[in-house]
Parts: sequence; structure tokens; C-alpha cells
Amino acid sequence: MGAARAALGSDTASVLADGASMRAGIQSETRPQYEVLKFSSAAGSSVREYLNRDGIVFALSWSGPVPPDLQQLLGVHFPTYAAALAEVVHPGVHRSLRMESSGLIVELGGHLRAYAGRAYLSALLPPGVTAAELL
Amino acid sequence: MTLLSACIGGNGTTAATNNSVPPTPNTLTVTVDSGPAAASGAINHAYATVKICATGSKTQCASIDHVLLDTGSWGLRLVGSVLAAGGVTLGAETDAQGLAIEECVTFGGGQTWGPVALADVSLAGESAAKLPVQVMDDAGTSAPPPATCGAGGTLINGVSGFNANGVLGVGVFAQDCGAACVNAAAPLPIYYGCTAAGVCTAENAALSAQVTNPVAMFAADNNGIIVSLPNLVNANGDASVQGEVIFGIATQTDNALPAAGLTVLGANASGDFTATYTINGVATVLPALIDSGIDSYAFSDPTIAVCASGAFVGYYCPAVAPQATSAINTGVGVNNATNTVDFAIADPNTFVANAAAFIDLAGGGGSTTFAWGMPFFYGRKVYIGIDQRVAATYTGPYYAY
Repeated sequence: MGAARAALGSDTASVLADGASMRAGIQSETRPQYEVLKFSSAAGSSVREYLNRDGIVFALSWSGPVPPDLQQLLGVHFPTYAAALAEVVHPGVHRSLRMESSGLIVELGGHLRAYAGRAYLSALLPPGVTAAELL
Repeated sequence: MTLLSACIGGNGTTAATNNSVPPTPNTLTVTVDSGPAAASGAINHAYATVKICATGSKTQCASIDHVLLDTGSWGLRLVGSVLAAGGVTLGAETDAQGLAIEECVTFGGGQTWGPVALADVSLAGESAAKLPVQVMDDAGTSAPPPATCGAGGTLINGVSGFNANGVLGVGVFAQDCGAACVNAAAPLPIYYGCTAAGVCTAENAALSAQVTNPVAMFAADNNGIIVSLPNLVNANGDASVQGEVIFGIATQTDNALPAAGLTVLGANASGDFTATYTINGVATVLPALIDSGIDSYAFSDPTIAVCASGAFVGYYCPAVAPQATSAINTGVGVNNATNTVDFAIADPNTFVANAAAFIDLAGGGGSTTFAWGMPFFYGRKVYIGIDQRVAATYTGPYYAY
């Protein structure tokens, strides 16, 4: 899948740039509190970007045969994720991971052929929206 | 040595056949213990010893102990420095352009990176020649990983990554990536062709070039495995457990399918069946698998408290322990049995200190799947049927117990 440049916390303009640059089908879904843009590639990977009413990407979710480039998706939040990951002992035997640090929550898991996960900024979650619906 | 078996007949029974060729020894000892000396402290890790030789050599060989038995992945991966210490140098596979083939594979939050090499591998009396394996390049002797692999310090190539000298992926598929890596218009960032200067570019890889489950390449007994571990003496802590992996399903007298009582769960193209798990009356259907490569029942349940500190920080610490619970497994496709599995979650802070095997251990916040980890294996025979291989009336991929 092409690089998704709209990182967590960035705005609509960069999301639209993604749509142009990625060789991926795009579907849009409007939900009461937010909009979901789903980018799907021929290989079966998909990334969903969740935009709040201010046009900010408050959450991301993904699934597919290979995990996405989290450096790109998490953007300025990637170092927070990497630091939390460094604290995990013997990471290879944990297929799933949940980390929460500085308001960034990342949950991921899966295995060869089927990876999935989500990342969101708790401060930007619209009222009443729970993590369970971000997948 | 030739074995002579006596032929006995009479009273209406069929005379036993004289086998002049003994069956291939197909049982491999598996031990749950605290791990290799270089990375001990493991819990619920099942280990086997793998014999590996440089292709075609009978002398450049090593027996690598403490290789993690992993029914949730496919292919053999070995820590590069351990191979080197064993005196084995494997030649890297090259692609049609002569570039070295290397691979980046994600396990949880980390990645393994290193060359794909061909080796001759033996497990018990079974062997696979010219088997593509991954050498996890902990010493950095091959091309450096691309920026997207191991970004932010997430490489897990060394012994501490898995508490093991390698990973023996013997799950439901033959090749690790499969069709998705064969002819994608935009090659997945899994297989790479690397120049001598160490520049690596993602590329497609034919099935025959992909890292492969050794069992799939045995001459016989190659349709799956049976993992047989005894129950624990103390559910909440044995120091070690010994069992076996039996190669082949319904191919020899020691791996027959039971006549009744077997639950067979077909798996989808990703290797998953489904598990229905209910929280406060709301049932969720999750992708599921039986995965010896993880140390607990792993599933997300925000209503169960998480251990805030101690040796088991991050696992579930139910407020009222032990917490009895269950999930309903359903197979995919033709083998669509449904089976309820009851299990319990104890407070791991009450476990036997320094033990290596535990049954009532759960965790997995953040998981998007329901994984039956090592606790599921104790006291059961677990059958892993390989994709498209046949055992009696069953065709893989499937999990059975």
C-alpha cells in the first residue's frame, strides 16, 4: 500500500493528498460524530482514517497481510509509541500489544497474513465514541 | 539395523503385515522450561531442538536447542549469532537478478529481519532438504533493514526477542506469506531483494522461494502435526513440562485420528476460525487460532482488571479470582463444528514463583483476535492440519482437538 501521509492528529488537507497519491480505492462513510475514509489496496490492506467535525484525524485503524508503516501513520506521535514498545519484555511472544502513553493509545495484533490494529488520541475522541467502533 | 516383527494371525483375525522397513521416527520431544541461558525467565514457552545443516553438507551441522514451537506462524527462523556459534554458515537465496533475498516479518510490535537461506533441516527422523529458512540477523552481518522494518528500535532478531534461539513455525500453512507475496502489483514490504551495497527493495517472492513450514517439505508425514502435552501437576505453576510433537496426522500408528470426540475447526485463508466471546451479554465474533507461540489466553476484555505491577504486569488480574469464563469456537468452511471451551483466569500473583508453566493465565488487551495460547495445550492433543493436505476425511487448513 502506498504511503499514507495523513498522520494521526493532522488535518483534512493531508488526507485529500493521500487520496491522490495512493493507488488505492477510497470509500467514505459519514457517522453521527465523525467521518471515516477507508483506503483499500488490491493486496487486501486497508487503512481507515477517522476525521472529527474539525477535520482532524483523531483515530486510525488498519487490517491486512502486512502491518502499515506506523512511522508514517503515527507521525509526530511515533516516538511515544516506540518508547512504550521498548518497555515490552520479550516482545516476540506477544502477538498483541496495547500501549497508552501521553494520551496516545495503540492497540495492535494479529499474525502473518492477518494483522490489524488501531491508534487514537484520547483527547480528540468525540463525546460518546468508544474504541470498539474504531476498527 | 533391521527390525523383524513377528506376524501373528488366527481365529479370524487378519495376519499382521511384516514391515521390513520401520516407520520413520516421527516424534520430537518438546519441553516447557524457562528458556535458553542467554534469555531465561520464559513462561509457557514450548521448546524443541532443531538439527540444521548447510545444504548438502553432512558435517557443517548444528543442533539448535530452545527453538520456540509456534503453531501460530509458518517457517523456521533462527538467530544468526546462534547459528554462527554452531559453526553453520548458510548461503543466502538470490532472486532472478542475483540480489540476496531478505525478509521483514512482524510479530506483535516487533519485526524480524534477515536473509532467507536454504538449509537441510531434521526434526526427529524427518528431514527437509533445501528448506527456505530466515536467518534473523542480530549481528548485522547482512544488509541493514529498510527504514520501515524495525523502525523506532522494534527489531527482535536476538535471543531475547522470543526468549528462544529461533522460532519453529509449524502452523496451518506451508509458506509464510503465501499468494499475497507472489505477484502483487505493489509488492508487500515483506520480501526484499538486496544489492551487495545493502540497498533493499520490496519484491515479490514465488511460493517456492518463501520461508516454509518444515513439515510441509518432509517426504512423508507432511500433512500436519499433533502437539501432545500432559496436564500440569499444579495448574498454577510447574517448573517444567515435557511432551512431544508428532509429525503427520493419520499417517502412522502413532498419529491416528480418534474415532470420536474430535472437534475439527476449518480455518480461513489467514489461518483463523472464529471464537465468540461475550462481555456483559454482548457477543462478539473474533478471528481465532490455537497458537503455541503465545503464553496465555489472549483476548481483549476491558471489564477484566489488568495487573498494575509485579512479574505479570499487563496480564489479567481478575478482581474475583479465579474467574470462570468461556468462548465458543466455530470452524470456517466445510469443517464448521461449534465447540464451547471453558477456562479460568487466576490471579497470576498467586502463581508458584519461578515456575515456567501455567494454565490459568490470560491477557491480551489490545488484541483484535481470540488466541488460545499455551494454556490450551496442557492436557490436550492439538492437531494442526496444513493447507490443502489431506488426513483421512479432513483437508487443511484446520485446527482440531
